[in-house]
Amino acid sequence: MFATKRLSKELLKMKDHVPPGIEIVKSDNLEEWQMDIKVLDENPLYQNQTYRLKFMFSSKYPIEPPEVQFITCDASTGHPRTIPMHPHIYSNGIICLDLLGSAGWSPVQTVESVCMSLQSMLTANNRDERPPGDQEFITHNRRRIRDINFVYEDDNV
Amino acid sequence: MAQELKAKGNELFKQGDYTGAEDFYSQAIAKNSKEPSFFTNRAISRIYLTKWTDAEHDARSAITLYGSKNPLALKSSYYLAQALLGLQRPQEAYDVASDAYKQSLSAKNAQTENLSRIVLRAKQAIWAARETARLREMDATLGAVEALIEADYKRALGELEGRLERGEIGEIGFGEDRDALRVDAEKNVRNVREAFALSSKGEVKERVVPDYLIDGITFEIMHDPVITPSGTSFDRIGIAKYVEKSGVDPLTRTPMTVGDLRNNYALKAACEEFLTNNGWAVDW
Repeated sequence: MFATKRLSKELLKMKDHVPPGIEIVKSDNLEEWQMDIKVLDENPLYQNQTYRLKFMFSSKYPIEPPEVQFITCDASTGHPRTIPMHPHIYSNGIICLDLLGSAGWSPVQTVESVCMSLQSMLTANNRDERPPGDQEFITHNRRRIRDINFVYEDDNV
Repeated sequence: MAQELKAKGNELFKQGDYTGAEDFYSQAIAKNSKEPSFFTNRAISRIYLTKWTDAEHDARSAITLYGSKNPLALKSSYYLAQALLGLQRPQEAYDVASDAYKQSLSAKNAQTENLSRIVLRAKQAIWAARETARLREMDATLGAVEALIEADYKRALGELEGRLERGEIGEIGFGEDRDALRVDAEKNVRNVREAFALSSKGEVKERVVPDYLIDGITFEIMHDPVITPSGTSFDRIGIAKYVEKSGVDPLTRTPMTVGDLRNNYALKAACEEFLTNNGWAVDW
């Protein structure tokens, strides 16, 4: 499979240039990467905040999607990170976005393009709330991220 | 009897004793020089021993004994191509391997993948040989031009010294003019080197494969490009895997099947031409 080669090429490209507001935090192995993203406009919900994303790749990447979620970091690390408030982001960091599901994923997507999609998903939001059933979901969900059957009925957010 | 010797050779070969294996195959050939598999096996032993000339001879003998149209001879062609690469004869290796690759494709032979890899390696070796020759030649020309500039500088300096001796110019004027001559000569050398660097493609120019030759799934240069109904080209291996799994076009998400993929011959030719001029791209 070509996961390793493809990821090392993505890395090479990103070391050359990353879009504004995106930063590679950890990419020393080709199974898990961490990225920091920032919202660039004035949206008061996310202003001056940086959020951390964790990418997990299987050997079938990019035929299969990576597992992507927001993670928290303790203030003691010097880089405190929280989970952004968004009606499609659960409080445990799991993201409900069609392009990250098996059905919505396309192999032409990259780590960079996923980060940019998430940036714009935050930019476009003005609701300071969690998805309905957030508490329920974070206590009971045990499925792998890409296998969760989210209903992507709401295209306005 | 000869078959027993071959079996003994095979056993040693498996254990990694290539010299011992070669010896048994030689004994088998002494008993029966019409059995091609003895030569094939001795060829691969000799490849491991990097006895390229002997390996070439054995592979050719096996191909003659099988008959060149026989699919059984494809493995020997694979060994022959390897031996020729070892002998620094990449053009011959390329001819042997690409002929065998075509035969192997139509015979659906197990050697297809090996052969396609050696075709690429031969292409890379051909390019490397040409590149070295070009750089050497370039170096010689560059050296000659630089020598001319140096000689011109020395002649001008000699004239200047003459004028100083004859008292036509003073010490200070001489020093200034001498420095100016040196600066001029250095500038000329720099310009010439830059001009040579510009025309020397591989060595100085940044090594980048243009995006339109890169597969959007594997991010590698395409070897066997196919086009989707929505008009985007991908390398066959990655797109076929994705379409088999998802049943949709990766860009438009329109339903499609692997059968909807069409060969993109023009792009294939473009990729091949690029590789011919830029052998490094095989490992890019």
